[in-house]
Parts: sequence; C-alpha cells; structure tokens
Amino acid sequence: MPAEPPLSAAALMVATIETLTRRAPAIVAAAGTELGTVRLVIHFGDGTRAALFCHGGLLVCEPTAESSAADVEAHFDDRSLLLLFDRSGLPAAESLEGSLDVRGTRLDVLAVWRTFRLLAQRASGLRAVQSLWLRYRMHAGIASATQTQPGSTDRRTTSTHWDLAHWPALDWLDQRHPAAQELIERGEPVLAPARSLWTGRKDASWQAAPSIFDNDLDESMAACKQLVVDEILRLVPNKRPRRDLYDLMRDYVQRPGKGLRPTLVIATCLALGGRIDDGVRAAAALEMFHNGFLVHDDIADESTHRRGLPTLHEAHGIGLAVNAGDAMHLFAVDMTLSNLATLGLARTLGLIHEILHMCRETVEGQAIELGWIRRNVVPRRDADYSLMSTKKTGWYTCISPCRIGAVAAGVTEPALLDRFNEAFRLIGIAFQIQDDILNLIGDTELYGKEALGDLLEGKRTVMMMHLFRSSPPEVVRRMTEINGTPRIGKPFAMAEEMLAAMHQAGSIAHGSALALELARKGVRRFERDLAFIPDNAGKGVLRQVANYVVTRAL
Amino acid sequence: MPEFTPPPTLCAERQGLGPAGPFPAAPLRSALDRRWLHYAFLSDDGRYAMVAKSAWLGPPEVEDPPAGEPGERLTTILLLHDSAEPGRWSSSQFNADIGPGLPWSAFARPHPHHLPGQLSIGGRHQPAVSLKLHRTSHPCSSQCAFFGRHQHLRWQSETGVRGEGTFNLGSGPQALSVTGYHERVRGRWAWPNLGEWVFGFANDLGAEPGKPPRWAGVFTFIRPTGDAPHATASFMLWKDGRMRRHFARRATSFAVRGELPRERVTIAPPLARLLGVPPMSPIPRRLAISARQGDDWCVLDFDAETAVRIVIPSETSLHAFSVHEVLGDCLLTGQLNGERFEVKTRGIVEFSGGADAG
Repeated sequence: MPAEPPLSAAALMVATIETLTRRAPAIVAAAGTELGTVRLVIHFGDGTRAALFCHGGLLVCEPTAESSAADVEAHFDDRSLLLLFDRSGLPAAESLEGSLDVRGTRLDVLAVWRTFRLLAQRASGLRAVQSLWLRYRMHAGIASATQTQPGSTDRRTTSTHWDLAHWPALDWLDQRHPAAQELIERGEPVLAPARSLWTGRKDASWQAAPSIFDNDLDESMAACKQLVVDEILRLVPNKRPRRDLYDLMRDYVQRPGKGLRPTLVIATCLALGGRIDDGVRAAAALEMFHNGFLVHDDIADESTHRRGLPTLHEAHGIGLAVNAGDAMHLFAVDMTLSNLATLGLARTLGLIHEILHMCRETVEGQAIELGWIRRNVVPRRDADYSLMSTKKTGWYTCISPCRIGAVAAGVTEPALLDRFNEAFRLIGIAFQIQDDILNLIGDTELYGKEALGDLLEGKRTVMMMHLFRSSPPEVVRRMTEINGTPRIGKPFAMAEEMLAAMHQAGSIAHGSALALELARKGVRRFERDLAFIPDNAGKGVLRQVANYVVTRAL
Repeated sequence: MPEFTPPPTLCAERQGLGPAGPFPAAPLRSALDRRWLHYAFLSDDGRYAMVAKSAWLGPPEVEDPPAGEPGERLTTILLLHDSAEPGRWSSSQFNADIGPGLPWSAFARPHPHHLPGQLSIGGRHQPAVSLKLHRTSHPCSSQCAFFGRHQHLRWQSETGVRGEGTFNLGSGPQALSVTGYHERVRGRWAWPNLGEWVFGFANDLGAEPGKPPRWAGVFTFIRPTGDAPHATASFMLWKDGRMRRHFARRATSFAVRGELPRERVTIAPPLARLLGVPPMSPIPRRLAISARQGDDWCVLDFDAETAVRIVIPSETSLHAFSVHEVLGDCLLTGQLNGERFEVKTRGIVEFSGGADAG
C-alpha cells in the first residue's frame, strides 16, 4: 500500500530531511557542514513555511511560524521547488522570473545555495526521495517542472528536436528515454546525469566514472543482511535434531537486526574491487560468530530479551542455548573454511587470521567487563571504557568486518588493513555508547532489548562511569550497593533509581556528547585514512555507515 | 628492372599503417601484429547471444626461434548467453576448437551471396556452436585508426549475416536461426597504446528468413592513449543490406549514463578468475549514439542488461586488456532520405580498455 503523500510543501521538505537522516546520513552530514550556523526559513508557494538549520551536527527541518527569525529567507513557488529535485532540468536555465527569491547576506546566501546544490545533486538519486517527491507532485497535481516550459513538448517529440539540439546524445539520455517516472515505477533509481564520451571534437573515457556515490543505507543494510541470512540458511543443515538445535539456530539468525556487520564486510569488499559474492560467505561466518557470542553473552548477563524476542536461554533453557551457541561457533569455522572453494587458499588464510584476532580481542574485552562486574568495580576514566569497548565490541562490530571484507577482496597488506582500525574504532565506540543510551532512554520495541536491562545487569557504560566519578560519596555508595545486588531478584525500581541519578548527574548528556565527538573524529579519520580507496559504490556505503553514527536519532 | 621502393614520405609503414593494402595477405611479423575475425549473433527471437573472436597473433620476439616453430598463433574464444538465465555466460578458454579448415568469413574471396558456409566452434566441448551462415548484405569500406609509434588498426564490418544451426550451452544442442554481424581486423598495436574503444551493432531481427535486416547500424569509438591521442568515431547505417550512410567522426556524438551493477558482469575465460585480475570501472548502464548529416539523422539507444568481461593478457604491460561484451535492448531510430524509421531490437556493445591502467 503506497505511503501517504506529504500534504504541503513544508511537509515535503520536512519528510525529505527526515528520510535522508535515516537513509543517507552522509548526505545530511555534508549538507549540515555546508549550512553551518545559518538558519534558513523557506516560504513556499502554497503558503506553508519551514525552517532549515543545523543542530548538534544534525540537519533539522521543521514547520515554522511566519514570524520565525532567519538569517536567510527564501521563497519558492511550486515550480522552482520541484526544480530542486527534478534531474531532467537545469534549475538555472529554467527558473522563471518571480518564482524564486532569496534574501540574506552574501555569505549566508552562498551557504544556503551550496547546501541545496549538495542536496539536489546527491539526494535526488535516492529512490526513497524520488518516491516522496513523486507522491507530492501527484497529490498536488503538479507536472514535472521542466514539462511546464513553453515549447518543450515540441522539442522532445518531433524531429525538430534534432535541429534545435547541438549534440543530442547527451540530451537523449538526460531528457528523453526512459522517463524518470518510468524508472521509479520499475523500482530502479533514476540514473545520474549523462556524460559525454564524444562530441565530435572532444573525447572522454567511458571508464571515468562520476565521483559521488550515495546510497540508501536502509536498503543497503537490509539487502546485505538478507544475502547473509540466505547464505547461512543454505549452509546450516535442515535435518534432525531440528527442534533442539538446527531450528534454534535458523530462527535466531532470522531475528530482526540492523545488518551492520554484513554491510561493512560486503561494502568494504566492493570498495576494494571485490564482488558481492566474494564477501557474502565471510560475512556469514562473522554473523555466526556474532550470534554465538550473543547467545553466550545473554546467558552470562542473564538478559531476558534480544532483538525483540526472548533470549535463547529464556525460550529453550540454558543447556540447549549453550549448545546452540557452541554449534554457531562451529558452523562459523566451517563457513570460514568454505571460502577455500571460492576465494582460494591465501585469502582464506587471511580470513582465518582476521577472525582469530577478532575473537581474541572480544574475549579479552568481555573478560575485562565481567571482571569489573564480579569485583563490583566501576572504573572512573572514560579511557578505561574506551579500552574495554574497543576490545569487547569495537573489533567485532566495526573494525574486523571491514578488514574481513578487505581480505575477501584480496587485500592482505597489513599496512592497508590497519587503515581501517582507528576510524572504525572511534565509530564503533560511538555506536556502542549510543546503543547504551538507547537502552536507558530509547523505545524498547525499537531497541529490541528490555528497557534498563543494562542497569539491571550492572553493565559498565560510559554513563555509569560518569555517574560514579561526578556524584557525592553517599550516591556512589548507594549505586555500588545497587550494582552489587544480583540481577535475579534485583527490583526494577533500583534500575530506575540509578537512571534518575544519571539524569541528575548529567551522565546521559555526557554520553551523548562523547558519542558525537567520537563519531565526528571517526568520520574525519575515515576520510583521511581511507583516502587510498577511490570513490565508488562500496566506499559510498562505508561513508554512510560512518555518518550514521553522527546523525543517529537518540 | 630495379625493384620499386616507395619514397619514405609515401611509405605507409612510416605512418604506422603497416603493409600496403587494407587487408594484405602479408604474414604477421611481430608479436604485436594481429589478424582477427569477429562474430556476434543473436537468435532471431532475441533469446540467445553469441560472441566469438578468432585472433591470429604474430610470432613472439625471441632471438633464436626454434626450427619448425609456427610463426603465427591462433586463439579462439566463444561466449554464449541465454536470456532465460540472465547473467550466466557460458565461455570457452582462448583455445576453443575452430574448423575444420579456415572458419567461415564473409571476406573470403570469391564469396557469392547465395553460398552458405560452415562455422563450427567448440567441437564436442561446451560451449559450442555449429552454424551454416550466409550473407544478405554488403560490408562497409575498410576503416583505419593509427596511434602510438607505427601502430594501426583496420577494420571492415558487415551486418545482416544470417544462419541456422545449433548452440550448445551445456544442456545439449539448441536449434535456432541467427542474425548477426561479422568483422575482420588487421593491425599492429600494443594494448596500452590502443587505449579503449566503444563498439557495437544492432540488426533489425524481424526480417524474413534469408532476407537482409531492414535496418542495421554499426558504431565505433576508438580513444588511443599517448601524447597526441587521435580519438575517432563513426556510425554506419544499413538499409536492406546496403550501407546507406557513413556518419563520420565530426557528425557523431556518444554519451553514457548510469552504471551496470557489478553483479551483472561475468569474467571470462574461466581461467581469468583464478589470476586475481584487478577490477575495472563499472560498465555504463545506458549508451546513446547520435549522428546527423544534412537532413538525415540517427540515434542508437542501448540499455545494458548483462556483460561478460574478456580478459586479454597484454604483451607490453602488466595490466590486462578487457573487452566487455554487453548485451541489452536497443532502440534504433532516425530519418534517412525523408523516411522516418524506428526499430526496437537487441544489440551487442563492447566497452574495452584497461591495459594502460596505473
């Protein structure tokens, strides 16, 4: 069933920015950088208004009142509004007098212009954005912006076109066939503008691919996850003992999840010139290791929910859950070795090396945190958290998937593989802190784990460390007492009490700020350290993942 | 009477054009001398596609060639595709059997139109084809591009080659009728100097059996590398078996848009997959070529569907030269002598290059 169209131009603008924030964080981050501190208020032809500004690294668009303060004010009628995202026309060439007006200081106006140029160039290639604007266009009864130009009908449908056009091959691809709407209806994204190979005088290489690659992160992650789940289901036997082993494994891997690790493996493999198939089996092995860790981790942490459903030991008992976790690790080794047939010996050995390293880091990190919990210790420094988090989740959530994807593509030089480490270490820690915050304040259904589960199990998070180092001794004593209470039998009120203390101490705000700072550092390191990878579709996905942490709504 | 020696200013060798005559019977003398026969056919229902190249290469340059060593080497590769299984190309290695005897060619003389000839590639292996081919059309005049130092490439094309026979993609011989394209190539070039080309053709597949396609088009865009590259392009239009227009380089334009997903590109021959061949740029998803001359104009609009990348080792660089054979729907439209035409058909396009990378 098609989604409801935006009912006004302002609603269209708000929905566009929301869609981009969710699906293409790299575009929103880049646009936010261009806009800087400028607050833009847009007056639309239908009488609605929207404000666009950058807040805390996020590009925000919201409906606004007429009297809202602004550095730059812009007026768009419907036609010039559509030109923003209509790739079949050139806005500068087709904007009509009186349809567009911009007021503000020169520098601010230029910042707004750069922001919109970036959004128009990069966001209009996304199918989700195209669908949104198409629905609005159909709802508002507005034809394509360029089709309203006088004389354009003649120019496109008769041979007169060829007399008017100087070099029509470009025109043909850009304007005639197939129409953007036809591509959207076929479920294909509208292609980037055409480029010329030969004009009769000037030549260009067909290999000179355009330099900007953006993708829909939601779609990419869903597609990568599905590929990996399919591969796992193909490799896990569908035979007895089904009920007590294989069904548990098959059901567990199909639980909803973001698909971050498969996406990183496959995108890195693509970015370095590999094919998707080269990375899928390695990603499947990694996902099986991950699932095995989760099953055992949930038992150790006494967690009750995982990915929106009861944990495996809650549903089937500890014995079967431990066994299923062991089997997942066994099959992960098997899947790693099965790369021999497709990737050859050298790359498979490289994968084994990477996976062994990842497992060692993970168990070391887990040991550090479980040791803190067992001794009821809360370290005071964020650096302690950083070390533990890097080892416990940083490697197997972010760093190793990238390195594994690179090895699957044939890159085994340690110096090149190490280029992924710092950027994705920072991004991984930021991601983990955000996950921890979501457990405290997020929507349980969206997050998938029980609310305040981390406080019930005494998980040592950045927020808890901040609480302990910034609270008076009597609060610290009380919080230590809560942490020391065994999870079984710990009243939920204790978790709520600790959450209230965290709010009181500003620990959650500290966590948010630290995550954002780390994420921004990570994005900078991504651009610097991975400059050796030419821009391509795979790197575009990695860039979106890197920026996802910056724009993630908490 | 003393033997005639052309003055240096007239000598074709000095211009890099090779021995005199467009396609001389002169032997191949160096490792860079090449002679090719190129076949590309589509079944009349558009479902099956075939591409084959037979290349005679000059002798390798060794100081003391062993006695009895053949001076020329023949390599043949055959690729078949079934649109019912999109993306699954069936490919031989470079040593596909061809024969017996010389393969059929429209350029063998004498060659009356009504006499069919046999083209068999693959023998008892898969993939394999066995076709009885005959001409319905006439070739274009030969064309030439020169580049680098003393390097050149000549080619001559003929559309509207028709035939009956069998394709074998591994599941047994499949009887079919085909319509296609044949080309001969002669030249001397190193792949890095040749740079890249975009080449292709489209035949109207709806002609009656034995008759030439009502419309057909062939295009070429060659872009050599080097200090003074001389890109050249052409578009040739056939009607009822005769080439009616040759739109020259200044009268044509080429443009591309989008990218074919890498998943739709297969590497051939099968052994190339084991050699760690570095990736190439994505294949353009759409290609448009326009040409105009006076009141006549023509557009070929190609929508790529699947591609196979033939990896050819380069004699003079570490990077292989890659020829992407791309298959897809094609629209050929235009106006000739006041007659408007529009043909929806299937086409085969080559995007080649890569030996000069790095």
